[in-house]
Amino acid sequence: MRKVIIIRYGELFLKGKNRNYFETIFANNIKTALEGIEYTLVKRGGRIYLRDFDDMDAEEMVERLKKVFGLHSMSVAFETANDMSSIFEAAKLVCKEEGTFKVEAHRGDKRYPKTSVEVAKELGGMLLSVYRKLKVDVHTPSFTVGVDIREDGTALIFGESTEGAGGMPVGTAGKGLLLISGGIDSPVAGHMIAKRGMRVECLHFHSYPYTNMQAKEKVVDLATVLSGYSGVTQLYTVSVTHIQEEIHAKCRPDFMITLLRRFMYRIAERHALRIGAQCLITGESLGQVASQTIEGMTSSNSVVEKLPVLRPLVGFDKNEIIDRAVKMGTYDISILPYEDCCTVFLPDFPAIRPKLKDILAEEKKLDVEGLIEEAFTTLEKITF
Amino acid sequence: MIYLDNAATTKPCERALSRAGEFLTENYFNPSAMYREGFALQGELKKARSSLLSYVADPTAFEWIFTSCGTEADNQIIFGAARRGNAVTTAGEHSAVHASFLELRNRGVEPRFAPLNRDGSVNVEELLRLVDEKTTLVSVIHVNNETGAVNDINAIAKAVKAINPRVLFHSDGVQAYGKVPIRLAKEVDAYSVSAHKIGGLKGVGGLIKRKTLQLPVFIYGGGQEGGKRSGTENLFGIKVFEYAAEEKFATLKADYARLREYREQLWGLLDKELFVLISGQNGTPYILSVSAKGLRGEILLHMANDQGLLIGTGSACSSNAKNRYSRVILACGHDEKTADGVLRLSFSPATTEEEVVKAASALNSIARELTKRMA
Repeated sequence: MRKVIIIRYGELFLKGKNRNYFETIFANNIKTALEGIEYTLVKRGGRIYLRDFDDMDAEEMVERLKKVFGLHSMSVAFETANDMSSIFEAAKLVCKEEGTFKVEAHRGDKRYPKTSVEVAKELGGMLLSVYRKLKVDVHTPSFTVGVDIREDGTALIFGESTEGAGGMPVGTAGKGLLLISGGIDSPVAGHMIAKRGMRVECLHFHSYPYTNMQAKEKVVDLATVLSGYSGVTQLYTVSVTHIQEEIHAKCRPDFMITLLRRFMYRIAERHALRIGAQCLITGESLGQVASQTIEGMTSSNSVVEKLPVLRPLVGFDKNEIIDRAVKMGTYDISILPYEDCCTVFLPDFPAIRPKLKDILAEEKKLDVEGLIEEAFTTLEKITF
Repeated sequence: MIYLDNAATTKPCERALSRAGEFLTENYFNPSAMYREGFALQGELKKARSSLLSYVADPTAFEWIFTSCGTEADNQIIFGAARRGNAVTTAGEHSAVHASFLELRNRGVEPRFAPLNRDGSVNVEELLRLVDEKTTLVSVIHVNNETGAVNDINAIAKAVKAINPRVLFHSDGVQAYGKVPIRLAKEVDAYSVSAHKIGGLKGVGGLIKRKTLQLPVFIYGGGQEGGKRSGTENLFGIKVFEYAAEEKFATLKADYARLREYREQLWGLLDKELFVLISGQNGTPYILSVSAKGLRGEILLHMANDQGLLIGTGSACSSNAKNRYSRVILACGHDEKTADGVLRLSFSPATTEEEVVKAASALNSIARELTKRMA
């Protein structure tokens, strides 16, 4: 008797002719997630089976697979000979000793002497005879024992299944560039888009020497967590120090944030086009802070010329975002008290509803093109 | 590179490293082993213990416990000595003592914090006012690690014992050992030191304590360090400490005098339009603390870093105001703006006059530059 992991992928079935393409990418993502562990992967009948691994690795494999998008659910199963007594031995290991249950059998091998219903009935009876506190409930059981009789003379027996991350395999929906800060929101936004199958790369703006190395390291840590879900990720960093200094020296102090964000979006779009990303992704949520009013968004959006800006959190409350950040494992990193953007230059009262006409007037005081080109000279790339 | 953050750690003493090398490569045995090779190392430990102790205390009255660092030594004495009632310390302690005193509150001991003078030394009169018949422990830092202020711990210990002779008096000597002259008076019960502040390695410290003082077991195990602090001894680190201390104490007075001049010189060269003095005149020559007016220390630190000058600071780019300012600098009576601009420049006997001159000019230029950019 040995362990096998059964992987079920839900939404992929919807994709008809593209199924093979999706399955191949999905299998590759599984391989990436399980790097360093030995096993063999078999695709069969709309499922993926992992076998030939060390039983001790099973738990860690399941943990790692929980982060793979496109995975609907999975079970650790026992593989045995297909006679009833072997099936019963394995079923005892996956069956709980009390509660309500049912047995669900599936017969891939139609030559097998018993029908699925007969197998289920007989195995159910055998389990009831050893676990006296069990009760059968075929409609709303508290757990199910699954039996899969296969054509090669073996059977798979499994108990509870573990829920996967759902969504679509990363890499099936193009590539986007996430504007990542050290805050709570942007990693969540990246996670949500990656869940829909998009490969996410990250761009971070810093203001060294006004901010410190820990702040940058924090973003590296956040991107590392995110890369656990989104596959291989690049983190790009660009310094906006000199841009902040120039705005500080030449423009109205209450326009600092508005103007700075327009620079960030311009740089982001140019960089996205250079690396082949098809959209920008931000963690903006409507009205959360001054720059995220609809006027603020209009102001920054209006400098993005070619690409869509995806804002998956736009209708979320802070608490909803926090819940997701906790779940994906970035919250504790995000709340570390390092500033990711310098507060030295921040005004006491930022313009909450800046008018485009005023913004343009302030921006005229700056060498926008020169500053952007200069910012690109500070570009660094970290690969995960 | 100019390294002026020697209060954080010092470059390990190369001669000490090579002398102690045999304890890594040849004499690597466990000192608790019963064969000759192991037993011989007991003698090496004894030698280290005795010479490290004798530089600052009477070996007939005091003994030495090896620890993993100064922080551990502080923890060992504070949690070993504080009893129900109250424990008194200063507002100018290193976190190793400060955080431990805050924890005492959870263990049924009332912590009391004595205020500081402007230079960071403790206000002795106020400290003594906090000591009463219910005080079980008093801990006063010897040399303040942020401002360099020196507390006269022997005199303070005497005065404390005059009020309540049952008090256990401890001092954190991490920034003092091997740097400022001291001979522990009999009223001092315990003293913490660290190897890496004087050319030793990180991972080795010591707790000097009066022999008659009974402390509970701090780490249970094989019974090393008189049963108080079990764990196989870090013999290599201990021998490096011994040899480094030998060198430091041999030149302690000469270094002290020379660094006092450098410290004066550095302060003299700093532009008074840009910097104010935080350290007092009578502080340790090893630390000069200044504040850059209206600027943030950490930004200057980064700018200095880019010019190859490594310094310390009293502030951090933290979005949490509570963590931003040094509690010690605020306790000296400085406002938040001053606290924000604090730079700590700390020396070692290896510091040269040329470095001091270069550092002053670099600091003047970056502070000037940042002032301009912020205008």
